Amino acid sequence: MYELLFAGLANVVQFKYLLPLFLGTLVGIVGGALPGVTITMTIIVVLPFTFGLDPLQGLAAMTGVYVGGSAGGLVTAVLLGIPGTPSAIATTFDGYVLAKNGEPGRALWIGIWASFCGGLLGGVFLIGATGPLARIALEFGPWEFFSLFVLALSMVAGLVEASLLKGLLSGMLGLIVTVMGADPVLGHERLTLGIPFLAGGIDFLPVLIGVFAFAQIMTEVERMGGGATLAVAVDRAANLAVSQLKVIWEILSRPFILLWVAFIGVLIGVLPAIGGSAASMMAYDQAKKLSRHPERFGTGTPEGIIASEASNNANVGGSLVTIMAFGIPGDAVTAVMLGALTIHGIQSGPLFISQNAQLAYGIFAAYLLAHPIMVLILAVGARWMLRVTTVPKAVLFPAVLVLCTVGAYALNNTMANVYVLLVFGLLGYGMVKTGFPLAPFILGVILGDQIELNLIRSIMTDANPWLFITRPISGGLLLASVASVAFALWQHRRQQAKLSGSGDSSDF
Amino acid sequence: MKRIVLVALALLPLVAQSQYPDRPIKLIVPWAAGGDTDNIFRPFAPLLQKHIGQTVVIANVGGASGTKGAKEAKDSPPDGYTLYAVHDYIHSTYYTGVADVTYADFEPICLISSTASVLTASPKTPWSDWKALLADAKARPGQISVGATLGSTSHFFPALIEKAAGIKFKYVSYEGLAPRMNAILGGHIDLTDANMTQKGKVEAGQLKFIAIATEKRNPELPKLPTLKELGVDVVYDVNRGLLAPKGTPAPVVAKLESACAAAAREPAFAEAMRKQATDVRYMDRKTYADWLKKNDELNKNLAKDLGLLKR
Repeated sequence: MYELLFAGLANVVQFKYLLPLFLGTLVGIVGGALPGVTITMTIIVVLPFTFGLDPLQGLAAMTGVYVGGSAGGLVTAVLLGIPGTPSAIATTFDGYVLAKNGEPGRALWIGIWASFCGGLLGGVFLIGATGPLARIALEFGPWEFFSLFVLALSMVAGLVEASLLKGLLSGMLGLIVTVMGADPVLGHERLTLGIPFLAGGIDFLPVLIGVFAFAQIMTEVERMGGGATLAVAVDRAANLAVSQLKVIWEILSRPFILLWVAFIGVLIGVLPAIGGSAASMMAYDQAKKLSRHPERFGTGTPEGIIASEASNNANVGGSLVTIMAFGIPGDAVTAVMLGALTIHGIQSGPLFISQNAQLAYGIFAAYLLAHPIMVLILAVGARWMLRVTTVPKAVLFPAVLVLCTVGAYALNNTMANVYVLLVFGLLGYGMVKTGFPLAPFILGVILGDQIELNLIRSIMTDANPWLFITRPISGGLLLASVASVAFALWQHRRQQAKLSGSGDSSDF
Repeated sequence: MKRIVLVALALLPLVAQSQYPDRPIKLIVPWAAGGDTDNIFRPFAPLLQKHIGQTVVIANVGGASGTKGAKEAKDSPPDGYTLYAVHDYIHSTYYTGVADVTYADFEPICLISSTASVLTASPKTPWSDWKALLADAKARPGQISVGATLGSTSHFFPALIEKAAGIKFKYVSYEGLAPRMNAILGGHIDLTDANMTQKGKVEAGQLKFIAIATEKRNPELPKLPTLKELGVDVVYDVNRGLLAPKGTPAPVVAKLESACAAAAREPAFAEAMRKQATDVRYMDRKTYADWLKKNDELNKNLAKDLGLLKR
């Protein structure tokens, strides 16, 4: 294993891989730092540029974007109090306070080094666990995969902040989109309305771009209502210089917190459908509960920054495990990463590592190397990164939209996908406006075919429907999905009760 | 000045035409990456690229027994920038009614390889040889599961064995060799059509080869019996070639043909195919066109014999 890893590292330090990795990380950090531009959007924008590269080059770039994006959010979160990405929300709680209290350099560097440590801990897990988990995944028959996908969908529907009903409806809508076109087994056409283009089914990438990039940018445009720029004044004179050793020691002197939050990050990454923002919030919450000084949280304690940043970067490692071993995307970001793997000719799943060892370890190596590159870029460019946020959104968003449209076109070089993007952009915008969460929808679109295929395979293998429940792993997974829905119901009810003061909750 | 620019612009398409190829070429592989078609065209693509002088990008378009990719290829503009990696399934999926796409919707460019089918069993099955499998299949008709791309070659091959040996299998849809390998290694299906590309897994004890569908034993694995010597009269191989959408201009097809011929002759391709236990089998477009026609007739009869003919 270590030989393979060293070979992978030796491979990736070649200029032809290092360059895309560096550029990817840079773009990821910038995208992550830009408020309103999510990691998902950044990955979508970068992906078409990697089409012509060899698989490892392309994947090195994508890995860089993912790692960079998770760290980039912290710059604006700490220095401006605006999380560049949702996964940096918890970083503002203490990071921004500490920066305001006159220690912006310390706050920033604690965040950067915590990201670095968390990311590397995630990497250790990624390298160690992917193989064994892939062997477990091999034991998964169609029943287990079916139940696993159902669990992923129900978790996402239950965990969204909106109502459970809307979450489930949104997921269902996503599943319906996948039913369009030829059926996956014998190619009978369904819901095609006689339109030839629909006969081939709808590619998920234009849908994803439409729903995530287009619809979200539209709401941002609406919010800014014109040519306004960020209202926050950037204090360019802020002194970011700080003793690195002291900062690193501040993190390493809290090994227990660091390990625990990294563990939470990895765990949430491995579980399908939860994502980085939940990881950092949960880790922050945990760190506060376990701390000897919980009252210091929110007043600029380093522990708060460490918890948020270490966990959201560890989360990246965890979710890469799930993509590589099971072929299941955890959230929107990993869904695009999975799409990137497929576009580069990789069938992720139980056999990926054993069949493509060189490529798999190349990705591991790229993941590890992205971290020092990230620190380097931030060390040189943190100050510049702040300037980026002063770019008027009126300039930024049209540029992102154009890149998204080009990306949709470049996927197959057909205009049809651009129309798909437009249709789903409008649909996504409508969903945002009416309070339907987007994540269950997109997960439905991504998992729909696999759910259907595995259902068909199960029944073709054995007509007995009870096998879904009587096979222990499958039954356990289905039970967990029922439990997750029940838990969501309970939680919504409790929130409703808290809010209204009465036990009445009509809208769950 | 303005007029000159306009004339220049008007001439641009002509210039572009004469300089084919001036942008990357997409090669549609209608199955998942890591399957055998993918494994054969991945080493071929860079060689084709070398001789055609443009980037060749493989696009894996799986689904509906490989016919989703076939439809996409058929509907692509016939300009030589979309190619299609095909094998015998194009005939079988047409006659079994999976798709309306036939070989006649395309311009043949060249045939490049031929891979013999091997009947392969999961390591979790109890049989060590064909005799044990046959006895079990007779005892439990319709219970031994076979993973197959329905209506395609991996369905035809076991169906031919069924007919020759007088047994009955149960079919489960697993499209392409890569997902079938996942399923058979985990023991979720019992049997499948595979080929010598999976030799490494057999040596590692992850798979069991039962018999090969060739006339003579394969020198790479001389211990593996042929179906014929076991009394099952089935010889079956899968032939892979390149097609372009119908209406692709003749000069473009000619250019592709000569690049394909040069690529198929490369020692690197021979070496890659040797590792996959696949024969390099080159045919120019004329020979390939005749061969396709004959093969189509053959598959129609096969579908009829197997009771799978739907048109």
